Amino acid sequence: MFKKLLVTVAVATSFATSAFADITLVVPQKPGSGTTVWTEIVAKELEPFLGEKINIKLIPGARDIPGFNKWHNELRQLDDHFMVSHGGNGVSFLADKVDYNYDDYESIGLMNLNIIAAHRTDADKNKPSFSSGSGMVPEAFAMTLLICGPDKSMQEYIDCFKENVTWVAGMKGSERRLAFKRGELSGTRENPAAFKKHAQPTIDAGEAELWFHHGILDAANASHSDDPNYPGFQLEILFEQKWGVAPSGDFYNSYVLVKSFRDGMQKAIWANKGNPNSAKLQDALRRMAADPDAVAAIQKKVGNYEWLIGADGDQQRDTLMTFITEDALKNLVKFNVEALSLKAIYKADLVK
Amino acid sequence: MEIFYAIMAGTLYGLVIGIIPSAGATTGLVAMFGFIGWFASFDPYLGVIFVMAVVASSTTGDSFSGVLLGIPGANSAAATMVDGFPLALQGKATYALTAAITTSTVNGLLWGTLTFALLPWYSNLIMIFGIPELWAFVMLALATVGFVSSKYWVRSIIAICIGCFIGLIGMDPETAADRYTGGWDYLADSVQIMPFVAGLFAVPEIIKGLVSATTVAKMETSQKGQTWDGVKAVWENKWDGLRGGFIGAFIGFLPGLGGAMSDWMAYGATTAANPNEKIPFGQGNIKGVIGPEGSNNAQKATSMIPTVLFGIPGASFAAIVMALFMYLDFELGTPDLVYDDKFFSSLFIGFMGATIAVCIICLVFTRWIALITYVPYWIYGPLLLIFVTWACVQYTGGWEDYAIFALCSILGLAAKHLKFSRPAMLIGFILADRIESLSLQMSSLYTIDKLLDRPIFLGLCVAVIGMFVYGVFFNKNKLDYS
Repeated sequence: MFKKLLVTVAVATSFATSAFADITLVVPQKPGSGTTVWTEIVAKELEPFLGEKINIKLIPGARDIPGFNKWHNELRQLDDHFMVSHGGNGVSFLADKVDYNYDDYESIGLMNLNIIAAHRTDADKNKPSFSSGSGMVPEAFAMTLLICGPDKSMQEYIDCFKENVTWVAGMKGSERRLAFKRGELSGTRENPAAFKKHAQPTIDAGEAELWFHHGILDAANASHSDDPNYPGFQLEILFEQKWGVAPSGDFYNSYVLVKSFRDGMQKAIWANKGNPNSAKLQDALRRMAADPDAVAAIQKKVGNYEWLIGADGDQQRDTLMTFITEDALKNLVKFNVEALSLKAIYKADLVK
Repeated sequence: MEIFYAIMAGTLYGLVIGIIPSAGATTGLVAMFGFIGWFASFDPYLGVIFVMAVVASSTTGDSFSGVLLGIPGANSAAATMVDGFPLALQGKATYALTAAITTSTVNGLLWGTLTFALLPWYSNLIMIFGIPELWAFVMLALATVGFVSSKYWVRSIIAICIGCFIGLIGMDPETAADRYTGGWDYLADSVQIMPFVAGLFAVPEIIKGLVSATTVAKMETSQKGQTWDGVKAVWENKWDGLRGGFIGAFIGFLPGLGGAMSDWMAYGATTAANPNEKIPFGQGNIKGVIGPEGSNNAQKATSMIPTVLFGIPGASFAAIVMALFMYLDFELGTPDLVYDDKFFSSLFIGFMGATIAVCIICLVFTRWIALITYVPYWIYGPLLLIFVTWACVQYTGGWEDYAIFALCSILGLAAKHLKFSRPAMLIGFILADRIESLSLQMSSLYTIDKLLDRPIFLGLCVAVIGMFVYGVFFNKNKLDYS
């Protein structure tokens, strides 16, 4: 009886959600994952402004690539299907085998954010231990720059990283946070909301301190600016303070490329180019972003990030694409493979 | 009154999910994303009560499937069926279920109280257990299941290795490259737990039931009077239940280890503490039900400690709980939440209320539910297969889900036929990535000298070696469960 009831409810729910859903957001993750939760929260706030039901379709898979590929190859042709991507998709786009291509879409809206790193006060910043993974590549670049200084060849940076950084494989986010609290890892990084939750208490206890952040991407000027919440800790500022010159060169260009693709499109909603429903969704998003209650509800749960909607989002994407140069991409792949032991491929077709 | 309704609704929902073979708390919680929004707009604290009620009741409810059908209700309830199912075959299903429910309830109440009443106090204690200690615990769990789950310990070791290999399919944590996928992209996200558990345990039992075309138990034994006998058995074997509860509570308290190994460690401790039993373990010894059942509710309670204090999930179900609570506007691990008394009251009321409610419901209805063992298998076997299949294809819903479920079912049938321990295979599968990742972390961050300075780690290593020596040279385990 119970089982029959459950089947009835499940089937009814399934029909109900699909029958009345006017818009579908495709998320490349499992239930409970970061972008899934973000989508649920934003969709809930967005629905009243859209005046339509938003259905969330989860298509999980390795490194969150299959869901995005499926949308790119099949679902984007459907006018009611939109894609939600995250920074990891941006990193994979640069050096992994994927079908999707941001150039083929138009932005509904995206969130531009910053990532902040902390370091244990009792540990040597020149000999850090840090959790590995493709999501940590920008941090690996940043700490290498700070430790190893200017005017080095790519190979020298790789050797310097391997000599000084303990790159710890196999850690999930929760393990990394606990290992940092325990003092097993000397460094960690978080987005602003998670930083307040997980790193700030350790800093407040006097056991850790701010290390660096990557800055906030300014699409109009194709550069990164200091984060007013953590002034003076942008990598570029710290580098110049320590080494007396501003960072530059091939290695730095690769760093700018990878950090921009991860953080500059940390959470993004995409439509196929020419989708007739895009304007409707962009308009709803604009009105939501202007509504103090909706913004407060979202900020409370996912943090205070800037929304770039419609053309602004397209401009952000276009700016990111200008960072892709042959050298920057090749050096990114080389550092990924030789220093970080990550699988990475050079994609010549990305270079324009 | 609303609180009462929330507890009862959560209890009934969790109980139904718990009873479905191979499903368990995580499945039930994932399905809640479809309607958690209602609580968010109505009263988020009622949502907290409902969620905790689902956690508590599904954990108690998963005993039914293991005892009545020989299929674990969840991957953390596999040990119960080793002695529970033989009892059902003997017509003592109510006796086994009552013992399981009673000991689950006692330990749920005990460890629920200790968890939620003393929650802030545990933060320093968690810090003592680092990567080496977690690694040693995982190794101890493997050693335990290798030597207690079957008398064929060599086959158990092989089964663990097979489970580990399958568990390692997916992504290499060092290189982020695909591994052992044979070019099948679907496997790059690893083999999912649901089809593995269902294929290993559910399908072989369902097929066996359908082929034999008979009932699980003969009508020779009446279920009448077994309820009281089950309660008495818990009192008579109270130390086995409490020991199981302690083991479950301790493993739940350690972040990231999850519940799958706690019931096996509790089962192993029970068999080790009772070496000269008239009824051998694996043939319907009630202590083999009471020991592991003591652990799972306790584990669920203490898993909330790292989850609530640090926002770090103590087990897989806790990660879903975190996401659900975030939807309700409660962000676990934030300092602000520590001062929200109503939130902590809701956690406590939900878990404890459901623990009591599900106990009453189950004890009243168990003897009627147990009558399913007298129903010919062909009547409900197909329905069971449909449900299990449904649960297994929730990942993508594509043909790949069906294919992997079919492959896991073939593996389960082969393991059962060849007497390779399926519980050992399951535990190897579940712990494979933990072993690998903790080994990588430990070798990166610790030198031998540093490890030798950690007494808890050394003590656990001695226990692992002791278990191995005992298992190889002195093991008199007669357990014939595959």
